[in-house]
Amino acid sequence: MIDDQRVSMAALVIAGKEFTSRLFIGTGKYASNAVMAESIRASGTQMVTVALRRVDIENKNDDMLAAIDLTKYQLLPNTSGARDAAEAIRLARLARAASQINWIKLEVTPDPYYLLPDGTETLKAAEILVKDGFVVLPYIHADPILAKRLQEVGCATVMPLASPIGSNQGLRMKDSIAIIIEQAMVPVVVDAGLGAPSHAAQAMEMGADAVLVNTAIAAAADPVQMAAAFKQAVWAGRLAYEAGMAPKSTAAIASSPLTGFLRDEKE
Amino acid sequence: MIIRINGSERQFTRDEWPASVAQLLDYLQIDQATVVAEIDGQIVQRKEFSNTSLAEGQSIELIRFVGGG
Repeated sequence: MIDDQRVSMAALVIAGKEFTSRLFIGTGKYASNAVMAESIRASGTQMVTVALRRVDIENKNDDMLAAIDLTKYQLLPNTSGARDAAEAIRLARLARAASQINWIKLEVTPDPYYLLPDGTETLKAAEILVKDGFVVLPYIHADPILAKRLQEVGCATVMPLASPIGSNQGLRMKDSIAIIIEQAMVPVVVDAGLGAPSHAAQAMEMGADAVLVNTAIAAAADPVQMAAAFKQAVWAGRLAYEAGMAPKSTAAIASSPLTGFLRDEKE
Repeated sequence: MIIRINGSERQFTRDEWPASVAQLLDYLQIDQATVVAEIDGQIVQRKEFSNTSLAEGQSIELIRFVGGG
């Protein structure tokens, strides 16, 4: 993507595993498995989330995992649908039995309207799952204190929401996410609500370690092209962060020299 | 003989009765490799499918991955 060999993005490490892409992809809401697979490829991602549901006995050939090359992508099962810690733990253990993978995106969302995460139940579940050997990536409200508590119990990342899931509203929680990033000892993944590549770039410029995107890509008119757009935005945002942003100021600071031959400035 | 599968009751004759989780999946034509099972809230590991027997009145959940964010 970039010719200059000097320009490269630092790798991200989560629980000892290295990722060269900082864009994680959700696999929900795609019109077909084929479009999903092509979008995943175009995004350059190395981690995809999946959910667990009952097998549809009347339509058994709905196996979406067949469309994903599991040698190329880290699978991140989620606990979506869980309304309390007990349900999330049950889903996490089922996901581990189904995939033989011990990574889990922990999400506990008791309110179906806003799907905001329950911090108390999430912390309770995280503590138990970490002790049970899981690599836990909790989805949380942008609450810096909760983020700290989750790190203390051994979570591998924290994943604050930008705005409600699937809302495409962008970085509404910007100020709180900035505090989480400032204080974090583990990678911070901005998850949920990023609706445009510019939102993802902004999160990365702030110093987020990665972003997780689903709806903005899956529900785009052309998901494959949107996946490619997010790939470049995440890359650009991260490069800018690593480059070190130039300082802001209220007054203008001239880019061109003002002193010169037009008139003599009086001291 | 009755068993609950994913919330719905299913009746089997004595001859049809699946001897194991693996046989039940065969009967339902579901690929074992993609499924996880839970009997009365207890997870059955995939490698135990063929030596886990079923009993009248049990509730079995058959679960697999779907798209999700």
